This record gives sequence, C-alpha cells and structure tokens, in this order.
Amino acid sequence: MSTTTLIVIGLIAAALLVWFIAVFNSLVALRVRVQNAWSDIDVQLKRRHDLIPNLVGAVQGYMAHERSTLEAVTEARTKAVASSSGTVADRSQAESALSGALSNLFAVAEQYPQLRAVESVQLLQEQLTSTENRIAFARQFYNDEVMKFNTAQATFPRNVFAGTFGFSPATMFVAQDAERVNVQVKV
Amino acid sequence: MIGPRDRESFFEAQRRNRHATWRVSVVSVLATVVMGIPLALTITPLLYAAALIIADIASIWMPLPASFWQHANDIARYGMVALGWLTQGKTANPQALVISAAVLLLPGAILSVGLWLGVNALFRRAGVGGALLALKAREPNQSELKELQLADVVQEMAIAAGLPAPKIMLIDAPAANAAAIGTSPNDARIVISRGMLEQLNRDELEGALAHLVASIGNGDLRIAFRVTSVFETCGLLVAIINSPFGSRSRGTLWRIVRYGVGAKKNSEGSAEEAAVVAALLTHSAGLETDDIDNFFDTTSRKKSVFRSIRNFLFFPIFFTNMAIKLSLWFFSFSMLEPSMALLWRKRKYLADASAVQLTRNPDGLAEALRKLNSDRGPIPGGSWASHLFLVSPAGSDRVNDPKANAAQQQMWARMWAASEASERSNSSAPAPADLPSVMGQITATGSAAMAGDASAMTRMMAFRQAAATALGKSVDEMPNLADIAAAQHGDKAAMQRIAEFSNKAKANQPVTSDSQESSDNSSNFAGFFPSLKRRLKRLDRMGAHVELESDGGKSWIVIAVLAVFLGPFALAALALLLLLIAIMVLASLAFLMVWMAFIHEIFVVFLHH
Repeated sequence: MSTTTLIVIGLIAAALLVWFIAVFNSLVALRVRVQNAWSDIDVQLKRRHDLIPNLVGAVQGYMAHERSTLEAVTEARTKAVASSSGTVADRSQAESALSGALSNLFAVAEQYPQLRAVESVQLLQEQLTSTENRIAFARQFYNDEVMKFNTAQATFPRNVFAGTFGFSPATMFVAQDAERVNVQVKV
Repeated sequence: MIGPRDRESFFEAQRRNRHATWRVSVVSVLATVVMGIPLALTITPLLYAAALIIADIASIWMPLPASFWQHANDIARYGMVALGWLTQGKTANPQALVISAAVLLLPGAILSVGLWLGVNALFRRAGVGGALLALKAREPNQSELKELQLADVVQEMAIAAGLPAPKIMLIDAPAANAAAIGTSPNDARIVISRGMLEQLNRDELEGALAHLVASIGNGDLRIAFRVTSVFETCGLLVAIINSPFGSRSRGTLWRIVRYGVGAKKNSEGSAEEAAVVAALLTHSAGLETDDIDNFFDTTSRKKSVFRSIRNFLFFPIFFTNMAIKLSLWFFSFSMLEPSMALLWRKRKYLADASAVQLTRNPDGLAEALRKLNSDRGPIPGGSWASHLFLVSPAGSDRVNDPKANAAQQQMWARMWAASEASERSNSSAPAPADLPSVMGQITATGSAAMAGDASAMTRMMAFRQAAATALGKSVDEMPNLADIAAAQHGDKAAMQRIAEFSNKAKANQPVTSDSQESSDNSSNFAGFFPSLKRRLKRLDRMGAHVELESDGGKSWIVIAVLAVFLGPFALAALALLLLLIAIMVLASLAFLMVWMAFIHEIFVVFLHH
C-alpha cells in the first residue's frame, strides 16, 4: 500500500519537474529569440550605414544644386554611427533622423529624371529601399517576439515563477518617425 | 492601414487554421489507418504463403524441427478464429480474438510501415520537389533591377519571419508561378519563374514571397513530405505486388533499388532520378491493370501445359493483387486524398494568414493571387511537385473578376480601334467609346466574316494584324479567321494551314521535360488548392481591399438540392463498393489458404520424406 502511494507521489513529482524544465526552457528559448531579433536590427542598421556613402557618391554629380540635402544625409549618418554604442533611446532617435534625411533625398531625386534613368542609381536606390524595409521588418519581428515573450511570462501559471527565475519583460522597439503608426499591444 | 483590429484578425486566422490543421491531420492519420486494415489483411496471407514456401523448400535439404510446423499450425488456427467470428458469427473469447487479429494484421501492417519508413529514408536525401532541382534554374542576377528586387524581397521576408534566407532559383519560363521546396527551413529553396517576376510589382512580389517564406516557417515542407510519402508508399506496394506479373512494375522496382543503393549525396543527377522514381510511384498507385492483362492473356498465344499450370499457380496471387488494388484505390479516393487535400488547403490558408503577418499588407498578396490566377501555368518539370506551388498550376479558377475582365475588354477595344485606324479608307463607322458595344461589334463582324462577308473578313484580318502588333507577336502566330472560314467550306489547303498552325502553337508552348511527367499528374493535386475566391475572401477579412462580384449565393442551394437527391445514391454506391471490397478481401484470404494448403501438400507428398 505504502509503496503504491510512494510511486504515485514520485510520478507526480517527476511530472512536475519535467513540466518545470519544459516551461523554463521555453522561456529561455523565447528570450534567445528576442536577443537574436535585436541583433538582427543591428545588422540591418549597420548595412544602411555602409550603403549611404556609395549612394551619396553616385548621385553627387547629378545633384550639384542639392548640396544641403546630401550634406544632411551624410551628417545624419555620422550621428547614427556615433550613436551605435549609446542608449536605445539615443539610437532610435538618430536612426529616425537618418531615415528622414534619406526619404527627403529620395523625394528630391524624383525631380531629376536623368538621375532616375541611370541604372546604377536605380540599383542603389533599390538596395536602400530594401534596407529600409529590412530595418522595418527586423523591428516588426523583434516586436512580435517581444510580445510572445512577454505574453508567455505574464500568463498563469508561468507568471508565478517567471520573476523568481530572473525573467523580466522585454521592451518594444518603438518607431520615432511620425510616418509609421505604432502598434500598441497591451501586454 | 495598420490597426489593432487587423492585427488581431490575422493572428486569429492563424490560430484557427492551425487548430484546423490538427483536427484534419488526426482525420488523415485515421484514414490512413483505416485504409491499412484491409491492406494488411490481404498482404498478410501473401507473406505467410511466401514464408511457407520458403520453409517447404528449405526442408527438402535440411528438415525443420517438428516444433516449427507445430507453431505454423497454431498460427493458422488462431487466424481462423477471427475469420470464423467474422463470417459465421462463431463465439470466441476476447483474448483469442485479439491474438487472432494480431496474427492476421500484424505482418502486413509491419511490412507497410516498413515500406513507408523506407520510402521516407529514400527520398529524404532528395527532399520535396527534387524534380525542380534538376531544372535549368539559375541564381538571380544582382545587377538587374527586377532580379535584385527579387533577392531583396526574399531577404526582407526571411528577416520578417526570423528564418535563414532561402536560396532563390529563377527559371526562365513565361508561366507565372512560384514554389517553396526542400525538407526543412535550413535547406529550403524558392523556385520562381521569370514570368512571375515580370508581372508583379514590388508589393505583390512581397505578398507572394511572404506566402512561400511563411509556409517554410510553418513547417509545411515536412508535412508535404509526409503527404507525398504516403502516396508513394501506396505506389510501391502496388509495384511490389504487381512485380510477378508485369515487366513495367519490375522495371520500377529495379529502378528504386538501384537508386536506393547507388544514389550519390546531393548530386544533380540523383535529384533528377529521385524525381523520376517518385513520379513512377505516384503513377503506379492507380488502378491500372494493363501490365497484368498481358500475363493472363491466353488468347493471342499458344496454349501450353506450362502456361496453364503457371496460371493456375498464380491465380490466387492475382486475385489478392486485385483485392489490394481495389481497396487501395477505393480508400485513397474516398478517404485519404480528400483528407490530405483538406489538410493541405488549411496549410495554404495558414500560410496566407502568416504572409499577412509578415507584410502587414494583405492587398499585396491578394493582388498577386488575382494576377497569377489569369496567367499561371505549370513550370516545366515541376508537375510532380505541383502541390507546392503558390497557385494551382492546372487551369485557372473562374472567378467573377471585374478588374481582369475590364482590362481584357479594354485591350480588345484598343486593338479594334487600332485596326480601324489602319483600315480608315474602308470603314465608315467610328469606334464607339463604350466597351460592350465594341465587344458586340467584334463578334458581329466575326460571325459575318464566317458567313462569307468579304468586307467583314478584311476587317477581321486587319484586327488580327493589330492584335499581333499589340501582343508583340508576328502575324503568323495569330489564328487566321479566313482559313477557318475556308476550311468550313471544305478548302483542303486551308485545313492544312490550320493543322500546321496548331502544331506550331503546340511547339511554341513550353515543353514539359519528361514524358513520364505528363500533365495529368498535376491533376492529382488539383484538390490540394483552395479556390482563389475563398483565398481572396479570407484575405478580405484580414483587411485586403478585394472586390469580388458575389454570385448571389445561389450555388449552395443547388449543391444542397443535389446532395438531397443524389446523396442516398452515392451512399448506396459507397456501401456497395465497401461490401465488394470486403468480399474480395475475404475471398482472397480463402483462395490463398486453399492454395497454401495445396502447395504444402504437394511438398509433403512428393518431396519430404
């Protein structure tokens, strides 16, 4: 009789342990995904920094009268590069400024038909468009992952011990520019 | 454009389709198991017969111990228990029944599962859609705007999905379609035709590729692999049981064995061979008997004693063969294929919903699907993997698509106006501005020309010329109305010209690469695609702006009425077929038993001491 109760208790304990391990591992996996998503954004930002000098060099000859626009882009880039080691808030501000300067440049470039006809400029423009998209998508992916991670922590019963295991909610990457409407998700 | 409500709904759609996938895959597994029961029941006695004959032959040289024959007897007696219970209602205790069922089912079930595992292992190397690897596919050229855009969009979508970027394979074919192939997200590739690249703008391309990347991320490749492996296993079973009779089945088997033994790792040739073998297997699962008919065809050849003895010996096996094939055909037709197709359709909806999550732009995918619907087609060599494509390669859905119709009518009107300008001297009436009257004019002039009106004919010939220039083709590539009219009046030369024309048109079509991959293969997977209308409706719910003319909702009434009237007949037919299969399975069991006993007696009387 006592052996059966012991076995039952042991089985329940084992099941609980397995469940704990599974939950803990799933939280760790989610956290790693969030970290990866964050570094993905980094990679794409860096790619944009690297592409801008090429673009400026390619269009300079055609846009001699738009010196100020070009300079604004170069300046914004320098600031953004400098901010890469700074805080997240600084960074997102500098990167948003760079996005604004770039979209301004593209808007001005629309007025130069001969510029749009040059194939290498077209290719560069496509690359930059893509980089902008990649940053946006990386940010979107990061936010989705953060949402999953935070929801996983906040739901019962995981919320009971998520804090004791040292998990804390991650923060979303909030776009600074006005053109993008933020998605507010209640966590 | 982006709002919390939309966001909510595509997550909701994903959740719904994921749940539906679970339910349907449970049904599919059940369907496979149900199909396995009659199969195992018919295969098992074949295995016993083979074992018995081997044991009999072996005991000619070294007599087996008496206990072996004792065990064989026990097995046979246990087998009879369940059969007696089934056919004559004999009572038996439950334990004996379970053992009996195991005796009757297990060997066949083990063989089937073993074959399935073997097929899995065999094709894992080539992966899903290995056929497409063997195509003349190339990497996109990064210095060309459209192709750079393609590479960029794939990268963007991979980032949005958090996946490694799949490799891109570009095929220079005019048919517009794309597919995701591979076995896992790590070796996934995206195959896309140049024709599709030409047709879609950046947003639409993004939507289409998001669907493919999302389907990779959702694990559809593994599911597709499982689904095809079940059908391939059925094909392999049929090939094996056909092999004593037909040389074609033997050829298929031999090819599989050679491929299994000698395939090199990941080489192009082996991928191609895998595709051919897979195509052979999916083909042989059909209910074709011509391979066997030759064997028993005694009318054309001389009758000999040897031949009749052989036919007598092989008849029970032939009967079992028919039973297996009939039950395979029936169950795969009535249960396996529908459930697998339903499963796959749910995965397509899921991938659509995930694509909306990736792009947050349901319009892109909706527009892409709409455009591809009118210009899709099989990518040469891809028919075997046709269920992997974005839109069904076979035929286009008839959707009341006001945009496409208007675009086409406008093109016709432009061509008509252009032909009129060139014929200014002959024609009198100016081109009317509204579309319906232009279309009416074209058909009226066409029928007048067919009836023999000479001036109408010159008008139509001018139209032909204008259409040729508008479509960028030479005049000879357009159908010639004058020839058709002449041929109707019995002109031999005109008929010849029409025949030449249709031959040429056929020759200009993209050639499907292998004779073994005929186009009817893609119809196997026709039900695997949800209709465009349903996909667009779901996208509409997720926020796309699609305008679809409703059909008034009358179609479901027709279907309901048909179901009420034809339903009982269909059910009766199904029941009859089931009964027939049950009778055939039991009869094949009985035949084989008598046959086994007979052969065993021969051995005992003549060869054993």
